[in-house]
Amino acid sequence: MAEPSLRHDTRSTQDPNEIAPYDGAGASNNVSKSSSAHEKPVSLPLRQASKQPVTPQTRIHDITEKFTSACNTLDVGQLVKDEYFTLFESIGAIEIMDPKMDSGFLQPGETLEDDYDPLTPLLPEELIGIMDQLLCYEMAWHTGYPLSQTLFTSVYIDRLLWPEPKAFEQAQFYHGTFPNDTRPGTLLEVLRAYCLALIKGCDFVIAKITGRDYFEEEDFCTHTYNRVLLVHVPVDVFLRELDAAVEMIEETDVEINDGLRSAIIARLQFRKDFLLALDLDCPLDSLSNYWPPVLKHIAAITSTHQLGKTVPGSFSTKIQRRLASTVPPRPIVELDFKDAFEKLKQLCIDCEEATGFTNLPLDPLEYQSFLWTFASRSPTPLPYSRSYLSTILFHPDILNTSISLPLADVKSLVFPSSLILDPVNWTMSPPRNNLLPKPPRLQFALLIDEFVERTGQPYLDLWVALGQNRCRLRRMLTHVITSWDLLQEDATLVDADLMSAAHELGMSDDLDSPLSTWVYIKKLWMIEKVVLLGFEQDIYLPDEFAGMYYFLSLIAGKRKDALLVCVKHVKERTMQLLKANKYQDAEEVRDMGFYVDSEHKYAIGASEFSKALHHFYTILLYLRLVPSPHRPFSTEALRYELRMKPFLSLHPPEVPPFAAFQTALKPYGPYSTPNSSFYANLRTPDSPLWTDLDASLKAAKDAFARVKKHGAKKSKAGGVEQAWNKEVQGMLASCIALGVAVAGVKAAVKEGGDGAGKEVGVRVEIPAAGMGKRYAEGWVVGKVVKD
Amino acid sequence: MDNDQATFYLSQFIGKPLRIHVSDGRVFGGQMKCTDKDRNIILALTYEYRAPSAEVIRKAVEASGNPSAPVNWNSRYVGLVVIPGGHIKKIEFEESVLPGQRSGVSV
Repeated sequence: MAEPSLRHDTRSTQDPNEIAPYDGAGASNNVSKSSSAHEKPVSLPLRQASKQPVTPQTRIHDITEKFTSACNTLDVGQLVKDEYFTLFESIGAIEIMDPKMDSGFLQPGETLEDDYDPLTPLLPEELIGIMDQLLCYEMAWHTGYPLSQTLFTSVYIDRLLWPEPKAFEQAQFYHGTFPNDTRPGTLLEVLRAYCLALIKGCDFVIAKITGRDYFEEEDFCTHTYNRVLLVHVPVDVFLRELDAAVEMIEETDVEINDGLRSAIIARLQFRKDFLLALDLDCPLDSLSNYWPPVLKHIAAITSTHQLGKTVPGSFSTKIQRRLASTVPPRPIVELDFKDAFEKLKQLCIDCEEATGFTNLPLDPLEYQSFLWTFASRSPTPLPYSRSYLSTILFHPDILNTSISLPLADVKSLVFPSSLILDPVNWTMSPPRNNLLPKPPRLQFALLIDEFVERTGQPYLDLWVALGQNRCRLRRMLTHVITSWDLLQEDATLVDADLMSAAHELGMSDDLDSPLSTWVYIKKLWMIEKVVLLGFEQDIYLPDEFAGMYYFLSLIAGKRKDALLVCVKHVKERTMQLLKANKYQDAEEVRDMGFYVDSEHKYAIGASEFSKALHHFYTILLYLRLVPSPHRPFSTEALRYELRMKPFLSLHPPEVPPFAAFQTALKPYGPYSTPNSSFYANLRTPDSPLWTDLDASLKAAKDAFARVKKHGAKKSKAGGVEQAWNKEVQGMLASCIALGVAVAGVKAAVKEGGDGAGKEVGVRVEIPAAGMGKRYAEGWVVGKVVKD
Repeated sequence: MDNDQATFYLSQFIGKPLRIHVSDGRVFGGQMKCTDKDRNIILALTYEYRAPSAEVIRKAVEASGNPSAPVNWNSRYVGLVVIPGGHIKKIEFEESVLPGQRSGVSV
């Protein structure tokens, strides 16, 4: 408390009076002294240090009585408060002496400290039990719970960290010196090594996660409650402790049966390899070597888990009372060993997968495929694994390349062997006279540099968004799209300048507006992904499927058209180069053409397939085969506006007006009372109702087949070939599934005979998201089942 | 003291450090933000202080052999708290003034 500091204060306050005559803070009684100081002869113009510490004096007044009587005089409901202190803030205050809120409150007869003595000798079984329990809490922490409810409930960990050890040797289960110069038992020493390595591991995890974009308490809790997780102790100290622990346990004079012995050793080895893998300073080129050994040990841990015996007393919520905490006390989070183990395994596998990033060719599109695939992993990667990947991605060695990454992206789409990106342009020097126009090729270089710099932030924003979890990715993408919309406006201006410079040179072998085309295609890709993620995350209800797939078909259609221009341009360029006998350049451009063509085909597939799904769900809506909930407080127009909200500000692409949307979705009038041509068309297999659907479906199937033929490498997804193949295969399977469903409906309406057509004798099952029941998560194909 | 005087008196302590002793022996030190007729007090940036238990004191005395061996109080940060008037045993105002400066608060 403040008493000792009080004494200290009084002494130090005397000093300024004597030596700080110039200090403005000094009061009137200093004046006489300061004048005497002036009179002292000084040989050198000595200057006083500008600020002498003037420590305020502290006095304590007991104001209980007066305060109480003043309070009594207040009116009921009258508050004496800080004018900036709001009711809203006061809600966050913790009520002292309320057992539910006040983590420091003791029930009558309850003690603050636990009676568990961490120096009690342990059985080997208990040691294994505690180690496994700690592992469970560690994984619970990884899934988002705070340390106070997980690892910090361990009496052992508390002892090691509090009071804060000044030297590593002080981190012990006992405080001060151990009685009689003996040491705690071998097993306790082993546990200590294990706990220390665990704590250091947590420190590494926090450092890695906070080093990248994450959301505190949403993704992960980095709060350490004023405990320092051995931040300054280097990693080799922990490794040495673990090695020593293994040696101790291997000594044959320790009486343990061999099964238990090897179980304990496996746990120590796991800790060691895990700590090595978590280390922040792992060199980039050998990252992939760190995870396989960890995975090897965790198998050994799970097979010996049943040997352990839990020690419930060694964990306690009471420790929360001593943690700096502004939140009410909360119970310990119990995560089953089986679940914890699965999480651990997933963490290791995901991180190992992430190390694959270092083997990618230097190509931003390969990076993008990798990021997208990683974010699509199921179950979704833990915050640590995501930070692990983004740390690799944003590593200076990856980011600081000889070519600008956004420029490489632009080049592979819109600049096939173009003079605009000729490296020679960057070697030109400006004319000496500033008034003279710059040569066009120098202008190219300057304009491109300007554009690349402008692209940097939106481009990184996209990558940051791709490093988030799926739900946040969808929300963040909508913001990224807005920034790309602004980028497109700027790109249009740069394009105009580029074109006028090209005109000066008499060049006509480039796209009309290459940069804005590139931005547009990227932007459309993001919008498609936002809608698909909406389907994947069950944002849309079944009766909205038709509308959202309609919107998706429009967007994908626009991307298809924009890409078609690029495809044609690449072809023309190849021909030009062949004619000019530039065979090497022609070959390069042709290779690049594969990627553009694959993208184009994929866009065709997406637009046609979503069109087919739009038709399919429209028919189902007319047949009343998809449930449409009763919505007394909303209108279709409002719901449409809500769904389109992220895209309303964009131009292009403009969101279709509600009237146009309605016409597309209700070609035969209201769903409840369709006009007569609907039923006529329904029963005629070659009516436009069915032929449009079949044609779209066929076009989609063909397009995806072409994409598949191109393969992952040419589609710039070579680093994630397996996942890419699976995705394309899933698209093809979805097409087939839709074909089957359409046939099912066709057959049903044929048998349905005449009448209103409502009783078609089938029902439609919508496969649930994330259960592996969809061939592609974003493409929901209802299953037609006979009643 | 009438209402105006009481309001003036109490508002002097707004934003000033108070130490509040509560019925279970803990002491809370923080900046006063708000109070009312029931003497409920809201403190911001608060630390909780707790006297060491008899057991800890006994051990410390045993270890040092000195019957007046110093033992630290436990403290931790608890942030924004409201202390119900009924539990308040003692209120202390922690005044800090520069040497020679006059106190701005009339206690």
